[in-house]
Amino acid sequence: MKLIGIVGTNAQESYNRMLLQFMQKHFKHKAEIEILELTDVPMFNESDDQSNSDIIQHFNNKIIEADGVIIATPEHNHSIPSALKSILEWLSFNLHPFDGKPVMIVGASYDVQGSSRAQLHLRQILDAPGVNATVMPGYEFLLGQAHHAFDEQGNIKSERTIDFLESCFWRFLRFTQVANLLNVPEEITYEPGQYCVTAPGHNGDLPMVVTLSMDRIESIDIDTEGESEGIADVVFKRIPSQILEGQTLNVDILSGASVTSNGVIDGVAKAIKMAGANPDVLRKRPKAPSAVDTSDAQYTTDVVVVGAGGAGLSAAASILQEGKKVIVVEKFPAIGGNTVRTGGPMNAANPQWQNTFDAIAGESHTLQEISAIDESTIDSEYLDDFKELKQQITNYLAENTGKTGYLFDSALLHRIQTYLGGKRTDQSGNIIYGQYDLVKILTDEALESVKWLEDVGVEFDKHDVTMPVGALWRRGHKPLKSEGYAYVSALQKYVEDHGGVIITDTAVKELIVEDGHVSGVIGTGLNGKKITVKANAVILASGGFGANTKMLKEYNTYWTEIDDDIKTSNSPAITGDGIILGQSVGADLVGMGFSQMMPVSDPDTGALFSGLQVPPQNFIMVNKQGKRFVNEYGSRDKLTQAAIDNGGLFYLIADEQIKKTAYNTSQEKIDKQIAAGTLFCANTLEELAEKLAMDPTVFKQTIADYNTYVDAGHDPEFGKDVFDLKVEIPPFYATPRKPAVHHTMGGLRIDTQTHVLDSKGQKISGLYAAGEVAGGIHAGNRLGGNSLTDIFTFGRIAGKTASHDINLRKDSNHGSNK
Amino acid sequence: MKFVGIVGTNSDSSTNRKLLHYMREHFADKAEIEVCEIKSLPAFNEPKDKTPPPAVKALSDKIESADGIIIATPEYDHSITAALKSVIEWLSYTTRPLINKCVMIVGASHGMLGSSRAQAHLRQILDAPELKARIMPSSEFLLGKSLQAFDEKGNLVYLDKVKELEECFDEFLLFVKLTNQLLATEKFNTEQNKKFSWLKTAEEGALS
Repeated sequence: MKLIGIVGTNAQESYNRMLLQFMQKHFKHKAEIEILELTDVPMFNESDDQSNSDIIQHFNNKIIEADGVIIATPEHNHSIPSALKSILEWLSFNLHPFDGKPVMIVGASYDVQGSSRAQLHLRQILDAPGVNATVMPGYEFLLGQAHHAFDEQGNIKSERTIDFLESCFWRFLRFTQVANLLNVPEEITYEPGQYCVTAPGHNGDLPMVVTLSMDRIESIDIDTEGESEGIADVVFKRIPSQILEGQTLNVDILSGASVTSNGVIDGVAKAIKMAGANPDVLRKRPKAPSAVDTSDAQYTTDVVVVGAGGAGLSAAASILQEGKKVIVVEKFPAIGGNTVRTGGPMNAANPQWQNTFDAIAGESHTLQEISAIDESTIDSEYLDDFKELKQQITNYLAENTGKTGYLFDSALLHRIQTYLGGKRTDQSGNIIYGQYDLVKILTDEALESVKWLEDVGVEFDKHDVTMPVGALWRRGHKPLKSEGYAYVSALQKYVEDHGGVIITDTAVKELIVEDGHVSGVIGTGLNGKKITVKANAVILASGGFGANTKMLKEYNTYWTEIDDDIKTSNSPAITGDGIILGQSVGADLVGMGFSQMMPVSDPDTGALFSGLQVPPQNFIMVNKQGKRFVNEYGSRDKLTQAAIDNGGLFYLIADEQIKKTAYNTSQEKIDKQIAAGTLFCANTLEELAEKLAMDPTVFKQTIADYNTYVDAGHDPEFGKDVFDLKVEIPPFYATPRKPAVHHTMGGLRIDTQTHVLDSKGQKISGLYAAGEVAGGIHAGNRLGGNSLTDIFTFGRIAGKTASHDINLRKDSNHGSNK
Repeated sequence: MKFVGIVGTNSDSSTNRKLLHYMREHFADKAEIEVCEIKSLPAFNEPKDKTPPPAVKALSDKIESADGIIIATPEYDHSITAALKSVIEWLSYTTRPLINKCVMIVGASHGMLGSSRAQAHLRQILDAPELKARIMPSSEFLLGKSLQAFDEKGNLVYLDKVKELEECFDEFLLFVKLTNQLLATEKFNTEQNKKFSWLKTAEEGALS
């Protein structure tokens, strides 16, 4: 039998050590006792996880391998020493070697107590769920007056004491055998079949189907339709895959998503119970091999791309097209970044195609308005383009006078609209607009990007030209399949089919710089392993910083205020990592103060499609005091600033009639949200006001006034001029809303070829950036549909440029060798 | 009144720290509470010369000159943290500033129980003869569900708990007053206590 003895103190002189040494010697024919010392064990600190350090791993492995453990504890201040408590804390944090392990407690002390009180504390501690040792009951061995107990050879002098120690120890040997029977893995058989259970989602329970064969969990399918809450997606992929891989329910929960993680595990446990088996058996099984793999990894490639969203995957695909090797490193378990969340088509002017569609009312008016802009207000870089565009418009209008005509477009119109739409003034009067050379590339190459995506495997719907929200013009190319996923899945397939490697779960922490050249990245992968990727070039495509509130607040110059608890419609992965990496090697930043908000977002999640979303003519927005505060038809920026000025939170009011115009929901969803307290409903306006903690008189007056404006078709307060329904038929609804971060415009300064530039405008050798991580394009405000154009265009260029630069460097190296 | 509040953990994020900060603000008109951290203190290692490292000495001096001590303890494995235990060992092994010092125990935990078992252990520990603290009896303050307990400004949002804490704190003020009065009228051989030794006790016991 193999046992571990732990000396419960780090003191140099210890009677507890002597006691264990005596036992080691005295019982050597019965058992092999290896003594472990606490000397090098660091103080436990949950903020500084050292579970993987040599000393903690040594304890962990020795205890796992042993048949049982003997702990000899002194008594300090009526309890166990801090040193002993510290190792127990390490071994009940991320590691749990004591789980089910037979333990014998002994102790020695100066006085007659023999550590009796420390032993009782130790029993209680070992019984805690994180430790979960199987402590031998009874047979308490207390060695009092320890300083008189041993002779010079370290033997216990009293024969009676030795007799009692022997009887305790023999009992422990037997106890160990019996207790370890509990640790023998139990066989398990399932009644084969498909079991329908549920997993907790953000908007209520999600259906989950667990398929079991006689002896295996075959599959776990969670229907996540209607869920797009980043971190939850991760849970729904990671937890099932680890359960399946290890055929175990011993799965680490994901930090930040403990409820969903546990929900999935509990759901599978329930299915197992339904199949007539005991799920606790699976909870006792070891973790999946991939979940415990901590070995560091090194890779070498031509180009490493940071971030597996649309920009990163496009860069990777174009690198492969240039005949180079690529590794994409993604922080999250799931790829796709913000791209997979996008709901809108991508902008690209394709007059040939667009001209086949009829113009619609108002479009020629928009063109006339653009033509009528005073040239002196156009910034000089754009002036020639603007004049040329005016000519195009004049020709078009002349050609189409008196008839509906066809849909007009040109790269120039796209460029000027991007420029005009992005021009903003911040709080301190600084004016910003899109950098001409970058906007020119964006708008000139956009169509090429669409064609390139088609070659890569994205199918577009040619029968429809659409206008994404906030796009200003109908030039949207819409994929046949659901938007974001269509791009990401096609690009992923292309990259993987052509030999590209995507490493997920790895957050890049630092750039490798050799001889002033960026030549790889170092990241932290699953289970804390160190991932090193050596490469000839690094492309940063890690997105903006919409999910990093601290950074938003630090740089913001545009909004009067950004709330501490502002939410985002972005993936929670989008925390500005690439910007910080770029800065670490001297990259310059541009336009960081400007961010885009979605004014009507869920105050708790940032989601856009919860509550009752109705057309703006039926919006009635009231602030926390129950008063209207803005023209509901205002632009996103106007609505956002008005909401900020009114304390952030506001409500969309609807009645039974208005409810019917909602385009995003069903009665079932409405009922669920009312039950969850995320949507308010009442039979009278007074009652609704009370639920919202507003003054009912004020709120009733607001609604009464609004109703008279609808009748009059005129809003003397805020100038709303398009109305449809009044608020009059109960029940009445209130959807709480708050602005949420949607897009960050600022980022790394790049040139037209995506080289990252330093503060002197010099290229940083080996470093490229594309997508939201880069700044200068959208300036103060991004047109809807332009971010997709941005990522696919500049992502593609980044891949090409990096590949070409590698060839150039090789050539020049050859040259110098000669 | 001047109190020292001890954050019973070395963790970077701690609701016990929040609790003490809240108490400092909330009771500012009743007492001055200085919140002390233990995260930078070295681990206890029974030094032969029985002298405390400077950081421990600094904390000890603060305790010595305070009218009372408030310890906020988390619960790790049904007991107090190793880090807090280490500080107590330093104090008991070297300067013994807790002798006759009034102590209020509070604690917060993420679960429902509010560190109840850790608090019970802490009471037993502080009762050890080499510590001999005067722990306020009969009232305990347990803050469960502590992750949701504080708003962004650090205010305690559970109103029933605010009331309970106020009562508990008032009781402590009274307890400190009474205890210090009693200790002043009776003679306690503090110097003797400071030299207390288990070895000596054991020797005396053996001889008698």
